[in-house]
Amino acid sequence: MDESALITDAQRGDLDAFNTLVLHYQDALFNTARRILGDEEMAADATQEAFISAFRSLKSFRGGSFKAWLMRTITNAAYDELRRRKRRPTTALEPDGEDGDGLDEPRWLADPSLSPEESAEAAELEHAMEHCLEGLPFEFRTVVVMADIEGLDYTEVALAARVPLGTVKSRIARARLRLRDCLQGFEELLPAMFRLQHEPGS
Amino acid sequence: MQFRDAELLSAYLDGQLDAGEVARIEARLAVDAGLRKLLDDLRVPRGLMRRVRRRRAPRNFTLNPLDFRVAAPQPRAVPVLRYAGVLASLLFFLTVGINALTPLAVSSIAAAPAPGFGMGGGGGGAAEVTPEAGLDQTMAAPESSAPALQQPAAPTPEAFAKTAPPAEPARAGRSAPIPPLWIIALAAAGALLVGVSVYLDRRSRRQFHSNLIEK
Repeated sequence: MDESALITDAQRGDLDAFNTLVLHYQDALFNTARRILGDEEMAADATQEAFISAFRSLKSFRGGSFKAWLMRTITNAAYDELRRRKRRPTTALEPDGEDGDGLDEPRWLADPSLSPEESAEAAELEHAMEHCLEGLPFEFRTVVVMADIEGLDYTEVALAARVPLGTVKSRIARARLRLRDCLQGFEELLPAMFRLQHEPGS
Repeated sequence: MQFRDAELLSAYLDGQLDAGEVARIEARLAVDAGLRKLLDDLRVPRGLMRRVRRRRAPRNFTLNPLDFRVAAPQPRAVPVLRYAGVLASLLFFLTVGINALTPLAVSSIAAAPAPGFGMGGGGGGAAEVTPEAGLDQTMAAPESSAPALQQPAAPTPEAFAKTAPPAEPARAGRSAPIPPLWIIALAAAGALLVGVSVYLDRRSRRQFHSNLIEK
């Protein structure tokens, strides 16, 4: 995929070119939104809004990391969704199972490549991480999601979050310290997580 | 523990420190157990976050051109041709304007000295005559007004010589400063450029909309 050519064409109004970019980045934007918002449906809405907004303001893109530029749009869209949610609170974030016990029912997290034990562990980890991420302030959550889940470097995170590099460093460190504190409450629930502590440095 | 250490270690884990900072932090890690513990503490959430499975988007977020009402993409040459066409048209009007105004200006300059000389010719209406007419009058004056020599300013060959120069600009005024061929070329270029840009634009729109209908 020749990204810069697609961006140039999209800037001239070529929607096919833009849609090729959408297909390439939609998973990244959706996952970021889901981690920030903690809700799949809201994340989907935010992702759609982000792509519409991105297409409309594409002429303002002046080069650099396109992914970071898109991350800025999803951050803004997620923030708007959060404000909307505050105005109109919704029901539980996790999908309910048929018996109403959504979290114990791993169907919605099912991955056929994992064994039942691994699936259960993944579900628990997912739940623990979502819980801890939701406890972070929005500005900490966005930077740590972009850096750790989407793999953006600090410069890209700074561009996406519109903050100086030093602020990115500080926010990521603070977010990790808070996550560490939060995850300590899941020691029995997430034994695999604590095995990480004893692994040699990655 | 200082927060600055946590910041440094977090950036160290992400490979965001320069070589000097890496050397310093590694030297400290080698001797400071508290710092090593802090590094492990930061490594846990970082490792967990990176282990979280990424999901596929539940659906495609591509934009629908019919819903989105996007404009057809414009060929790159269109704006260039359009601006060039507009520029050529402006130049055309400018040259036409210059050519239209120049003879008037020259004739008014040429006509200006005539009243002064016409005093001797007895003609108060010198301002209304053309330079040629003024010249004719000037040449005719010695004969027609010779009997009435009460006026001291009777035209002499020297005086005629003084009046002669205006005749040249007058002749120059008659020939346009910008050749008509240039004007025609500018008009043709302007029309051609604008026409080509409109054609390319329309063709592009037709193709775009026929593609939409096919989809």
